[in-house]
Formats: sequence, structure tokens, C-alpha cells
Amino acid sequence: MNLDLTWRLLRGGGRKGLLGTWLTLGAVAVSTALLLFAVAANFAFQARADRSAWRNPVETKGAAVAIEAARHDYVRDKEITVIDLAALGADAPAPPGMARFPAPGEVWLSPALKELAGQLPADQLAGRFPSPKGVLGEEALLYPGELVAVVGHKPDAPELTRPRSDDWIVGYSPVKVASLAGEPMDDAEAYQVLALIAGVLMVVPLLVFGGAAARLTVARRDQRLATLRLVGATPGQVVGMTVAEAVIVAFAGAITGTLAYALAAPLLAGIQIGGGGWFVSDLWPSPLVLGGLLVGVPLLVGLSAVVGLRRVVVSPLGVAKRETPPGLRFIRVVALLAVLAVVPLLSRGNAVGPIAVVIGLAFLCVNLVGPWVVGVIGRVTAGRARRPARLLAGRRLVDDPRSAWRTVSGVAMTGFVAGFLCLLSPGALSGFADAGQLQVAVPAGQTATVAEQARTRLKAAGITATVKPAKKLVAVALGTSADAATVDRARTALAGLVPGHTPTTEADDQHFGVQILADVRAGTVVVLSVSFLVAIASAGITAASSILDRRQTYGLLRLAGTPLEVLDKARRAETLIPLTVMGGGAILVGAFCAAPFMIGAVNATGVLTLVLCVGLGFAGVIAAGALSRPLLQSVTTDPAPRPD
Amino acid sequence: MNDVLVGRALAKRFGQTVALGGVDLAVRAGEAVAIMGPSGSGKSTLLHCLAGIMKPDSGEVHLLGQRIDNLRERDRSALRRTRFGFVFQFGQLLPELPAEENVALPLMLGDVPRDRAVRQARDWFGPLGLHGMETRRPGELSGGQAQRVAIARALVSKPAVVFADEPTGALDQTTGQETMRLLVEATKHNGACLIVVTHDPNVAGWCDRTVEVRDGHLLVGGVRA
Ligand SMILES: Nc1ncnc2c1ncn2[C@@H]1O[C@H](COP(=O)(O)OP(=O)(O)OP(=O)(O)O)[C@@H](O)[C@H]1O
Ligand SMILES: [Mg+2]
Repeated sequence: MNLDLTWRLLRGGGRKGLLGTWLTLGAVAVSTALLLFAVAANFAFQARADRSAWRNPVETKGAAVAIEAARHDYVRDKEITVIDLAALGADAPAPPGMARFPAPGEVWLSPALKELAGQLPADQLAGRFPSPKGVLGEEALLYPGELVAVVGHKPDAPELTRPRSDDWIVGYSPVKVASLAGEPMDDAEAYQVLALIAGVLMVVPLLVFGGAAARLTVARRDQRLATLRLVGATPGQVVGMTVAEAVIVAFAGAITGTLAYALAAPLLAGIQIGGGGWFVSDLWPSPLVLGGLLVGVPLLVGLSAVVGLRRVVVSPLGVAKRETPPGLRFIRVVALLAVLAVVPLLSRGNAVGPIAVVIGLAFLCVNLVGPWVVGVIGRVTAGRARRPARLLAGRRLVDDPRSAWRTVSGVAMTGFVAGFLCLLSPGALSGFADAGQLQVAVPAGQTATVAEQARTRLKAAGITATVKPAKKLVAVALGTSADAATVDRARTALAGLVPGHTPTTEADDQHFGVQILADVRAGTVVVLSVSFLVAIASAGITAASSILDRRQTYGLLRLAGTPLEVLDKARRAETLIPLTVMGGGAILVGAFCAAPFMIGAVNATGVLTLVLCVGLGFAGVIAAGALSRPLLQSVTTDPAPRPD
Repeated sequence: MNDVLVGRALAKRFGQTVALGGVDLAVRAGEAVAIMGPSGSGKSTLLHCLAGIMKPDSGEVHLLGQRIDNLRERDRSALRRTRFGFVFQFGQLLPELPAEENVALPLMLGDVPRDRAVRQARDWFGPLGLHGMETRRPGELSGGQAQRVAIARALVSKPAVVFADEPTGALDQTTGQETMRLLVEATKHNGACLIVVTHDPNVAGWCDRTVEVRDGHLLVGGVRA
């Protein structure tokens, strides 16, 4: 048996064999692109966390080089981060994105803030930062359009001597720092954990799909391989040939996927999280990670191919005879129930790390239980079927539950995600009652004086307002008819009135919460989209390969007068029945897992997202399946199908 | 006029290849006809034309006096399902269905309720020596057993004609003989005609009559008809 002959026999699959190769290539490309996205997203949040760390000062008890404080200001509905800095001595290091340490009175603006200050009338924004000295570089910014101002002070300036609020959402009180390194902010870390969860949610279906893609090459070949074995090829030759082919195809697929991701990256950079989009460089994984993926993906595909080949190699008759597959063990269900039992024990206050692990585990368990449930669904369907299409669909589900699960797992997993997030995302916050009222915190005992100063400033600026001192603050009512421009003029007029404190509206104070909600929603949409892509691509590929696998029988049945519609209907039922049962089941499991973390009631947006998810999932899977109808047609029109 | 199936001047070309060059063949009621000939001589093409799988380029096919070659594909498909039975070399059974459901499939396609279809299907297992194989799946049957299941499926809907294209081609000599005997007996018992393409003279020996095909023509007494 020489190698060359083996190779030619393998290659001899003709156009249909080639189709399998193309399908594998496409599947690996989609997997790689989405995998890159899932991985890069995590690195992108890491990059943001690193860049924003310097704005989160760490207090030092020892030798200090500077004093640093931070607060938030607002213009229109956007947030401005203002960093106050003062050097202690001559060797204060240059902050990130700046050429040198700012001298007292100097202001550095981010490019977006500089631009906005130029666009708006000076009495609405520019007046708050009187002497802009320079423009901040990217190293100082979270995202390209971020509004940031760095203001230099003398060490004894009131901005850097008086304590501020305890609430880190409002800002950081001045502290002495030994360096400008800082540490990652709490919210940056929270985002990283959320990104990690999203990553797990995306990667698990991806791996299922990738595995299916790998086995596709083998499925196309196993008949031929079994023949080769019968003819006398050694197991080593058979494995070597197939794995080499799978790895080569997968490598081409991985390259294609990387190119596709590179093309998509500028679009993905537009996804708004945390108030803005992304630097494209953030979304581009490091060469090491990229290299790892380009090597790892083909290797995984090769490994998957080996697993798929095991049957052929162990017993050359195994494939040729198509024995009854071994039953799936009930133990899988027990495993899922065990993990589900743990979920409610986690309270909301727990660290997010373990929660991510548990959710990932639950996810894997759903994946393990999936085929078992498909088998049960198949038995029930076949048992109750009256028409041949249903009977065929049911029997096929029993015959190969894993393949059916691969088709529906994407949407079932998406259902899990959707069920989870449907409960998690609280409804839109109600409108803010008093848009025209600014408040600024004032040190005790100075409210009357500050109120008087405010009146003078507002009058000078030509703004009519009622200023009222309260217990620890001064409230400025601009009237209910005040528009955004008036509010910004008032903000500008009152800038620096109380050093280190910003006059804010109620909406400004809610900005962080609103932002988090928007981000959770954006994240949901992203994860859902990815899951859909996987589900749909997988449905299309599974449908095509299942037709190719049974092309001889289909062809002969059609010769014997079986209407094509029956076969097509069976194929559709084969996907739709488990999809309906398992999609619904997954949503319930997802909702169950979300229950312990639930904030507030189920809301319309969440339910709408869910309905949309289910609708799109079904439509997409049906459409992807329908795409292979011409294939069924062409495979069965050959009047004398010959086993090849 | 007791010809059940009649083919007149059937001609079929594939590009430059003349697969059939004007063949006449009539099959009488209850008759079993073997079609023999070298590979590529046009046996399968003849069978496909007679069975309404292919439209001949010219010529006519009549079933019980009714012309069938000019029907639309949909009608020919229904005709094949209801009036004809088929046995192929192998691979015609759906691997995921148990044997009895494979046999019941044509009945269910004809709107027979499932219970009744399966019951009727089971009735074929005993006579064909398949006792106890009802719930086995094709992968768990031997080649000969699988062919017998296929024979049951071809006969279950009481067809007028059974077409078999090398039904024993994938079986060993003894099993082939036995399968052929069952095919002929069961078909005759059922009152149907049988048209079987084969390379094996022993197999042909089970039939009432043998026709030879050479280069798309029938040989009668060693000469082209
Ligand atoms: N779909 C087709 N396209 C082109 N040529 C065809 C097609 N089907 C058959 N032929 C040609 O028509 C001729 C007769 O083919 P046919 O299949 O009827 O032969 P056969 O007698 O059944 O051969 P075998 O015993 O090998 O099955 C052959 O030359 C074959 O190459
Ligand atoms: Mg032939």
C-alpha cells in the first residue's frame, strides 16, 4: 500500500468531497474570526483598565512625588473626567499621554474635549478650562472620543487640599502618590469580569461548532477511509492523511478568519461600551495571542479529526456497518442538576470570579446534557409520529443526537444567554423630574456665602436662576424650561465655585448607573449576535453534511418515488423539534440561573430582546437549512447514484 | 393482451453515447424477466426508462395499456411509489429506521395509518425468513437480510411491477441465489411482474425469460433484434 495511492484515493472525492472541504474551511474561518473577537474583547478591556489606572491614585504614606485628585464634570449628557495634579518637588514624572508634568494653572485636554470646546460657545464649556496648554495622547484615554482634562495646580491649592466625596463614582479625594501608576479602577475590573463571562458564553458554542466543522471533513471521508482500511492501509497512514488534510484546511480557514476579523475590526471598534468605542489597536490581539490562535485552531481541528477517525481506525467495519450508537448516559443530567443546585447558593454579594466559573460550568453541563435530551426528544417524536416525515425526523434524532445537538446548540445556548440577561437587565430608568436644577456640595457652614457667590456669578453670566442654600449643598434652579445650553452655561459659570466639586443635575448623578445599563444591553446584543452567527452557520453546515452523508439512500428513495418534500420536511422537523423544545428549555435554565442576581422586575426591553432572539434564531436556522435544499435536489437527481 | 408493461422503440443517448438504440420489450402478467449483458451495455438505462425514472429520447412505455413515459415527473414519481417496487444493489434502506419501519415507509407515504402500515409490514418478515429482525436496524443486518428487507419494501404496497437492478450484486454466490429465489417467489406469489438486471447467469436462471442487451440493443438468438 503506497502512500501516493492512499493520497489519490482520499483526493478522489470529486466535487462533493471538495464541497465538504469548502464547508470545513468556511466553518473554521467563522470560528476563528469569532474566537479572535471573544479573545480580543478581553484584551481590549484589559488595555482600557491599564490606561485608566493612573487616574485612580494610590495613597502613599512615604515619599510622595505629587498630589492627585479626580472628579467628573458634565457637558450636555456627556461625562468629562477632570484630573487635578500638583507636583511635590521637581522630579514629578510626566503623566501618561503628556510630555511633562503640568505646571500650576495649565490644562491639557483630550482631543475630543478640545474639539467640543471649540464647537460650543465659550460660556458653555471652554470657560471651565481657561488656559489649555496641550492635547492628551492616546495613552491617557480609555477610548478615542473620551472627554478628559488634566489640570495643574499648586500643592496648596484648595482643589488639592480639601476632601471630596467618599463616593468613588463622583470622584477621588486628593491623595499623595509615590508614582502616577495608580491601580485599575473598580469599574474597569467589573467590566473585565463581564467581558470574561461574555467570552465564555461565546466561546463554548464556538468550540462545539468548531468540533463539528472538524468532524465534517472526517464524515465526508469515513466511508472511503473504511474502504482503505479494508484494502489494507495501516491505521497510521489513514490517520496521517486525514489529519494532515484537516490541519491544512483548518490553517487556511484560520488565516481566512483572521483576515475577515481584520476587515471587521474597524466596524467592531464602533461598539459603544463604557461611553465610547475602541481604539482599533485594542481590538487587535498581540502577535503572541494571534500566533497562538493560528497554531492552536488547526491543531484542535486536527485533534477533533483524530477523535472522529478513531472508530474507523479501531474497526474498519465500524463505519461500513453503521452500528447502533451507544446510549448517552443519564449521569450527564445528574451533573447538570448538581451544578444548577449550586447556583442559587451564590448570593449577589459574592465575587464575580466564582460566578463566572459556575456559569461556565453550567454552560458546559448544558452542552453535555444536550445530546441526551435530543435523544429523548427523538424517541418521543418517533413514538408519536403518524406521518413519515416526523417518524424519520424522530428516528434520526435518536440515531445521531450529537449531530442534531450541534445544530441546535448555538440557539439553545443563545436561549440560555437570553433567558439569563432577560431577567438581569432592569428596565430603563424613569425620566428625571428636574432637568433644570444643579446642585453643588458645599463644606459645612459656608452655604450662605457660596450661595451669594453663585448668585453673583450667574447674574454676571446673564442667567436667571433661583439659588437656595441647603444643609450641605447649594441648589440652583434654572426653571423647568431651561435647555441643555442654559444648563451648560450655568455649569460653566459655576465652575470652580467650590474647588474640587462639580455642579451636577440629577441626571448627571445617575450617569454611571445609566451607563452600566446601556453597557449590559450592548453586551447582550453583541453576545446574542455572535451566538446567532454560530448557530446559523452551524445549522447550515450540519444540514449540508447530513445530506451529503445520506446522499445514496436519498437518491435511491427518490428513484423509488419518495417525494422530495417528505425528505425535506423530515430534515426541517429534525432541526425544528429539538430547537423548539431545547430553545425553550434553555431559556428557562438561563432565567433560573439569573434569578439570584436579579435586580428589579422583568422588563419589556428584556422580553423584547428575548422574543427577537428566538424569532431570529428560528428564522436564521430555517433559512440556513433551506439553503441546502438545492443540494438535496442535486444530490438526488442523479438517476443512478453510485457509491463513491 | 395480457402485457403488463410494454416498452416500444426505446432510445436514449447521453451526449455522444448511445445507451439505448431502440429497444422493444413486453412483460406479460406474472412474468419474471432477466436483463443481462456486459457492463455499459445499457441495462440500467433500459430499466430506468421502463420504470419511469428516466424519460426516453424517443419510444413509448405503457403500463396496463396506459402510456406513462410522457407523464410529468411528479406523476411518474407517484406512479413509481404506488405501482412499482424497487430493489437496488445496496444502500436503499434508511439506516436510522428499524427494518419494519423501512418496509412500512411506502405504505405510510401512501397515507396508510402508521399502526396498520407497520402491521402489514411485519407480515412480510416471516415468509422472507426475517423472523425476529423486525426491530433491527439496517446496520445490524447481514447483506442478504438487508436485501430481503428491501424485497419486502418493494412488495409491501402491492405493485404491478418490481424492478431490481443487480439485487444480488453485493452478495456472495449462495446468499445471492437464496435472495433471488425469495425475490422471484414472493413477486409471483404477489401476482406482480419482475424485471431484474443481473450479471449472474444463475440469478437469471430463476427467471422465466432472459433478454440480452449489447450496445443498447436487444439480442435475439445471438443477433440484434
Ligand atoms: N447519467 C449518464 N451520463 C452519461 N452517460 C451515461 C449515464 N448513464 C449511463 N451512461 C452511459 O450509458 C451507457 C449505458 O449505461 P448503463 O448504466 O445503462 O449500463 P449498464 O449495462 O447498466 O452497465 P453496468 O452493468 O456496469 O451497470 C454507458 O456507456 C454509460 O457510460
Ligand atoms: Mg447498471
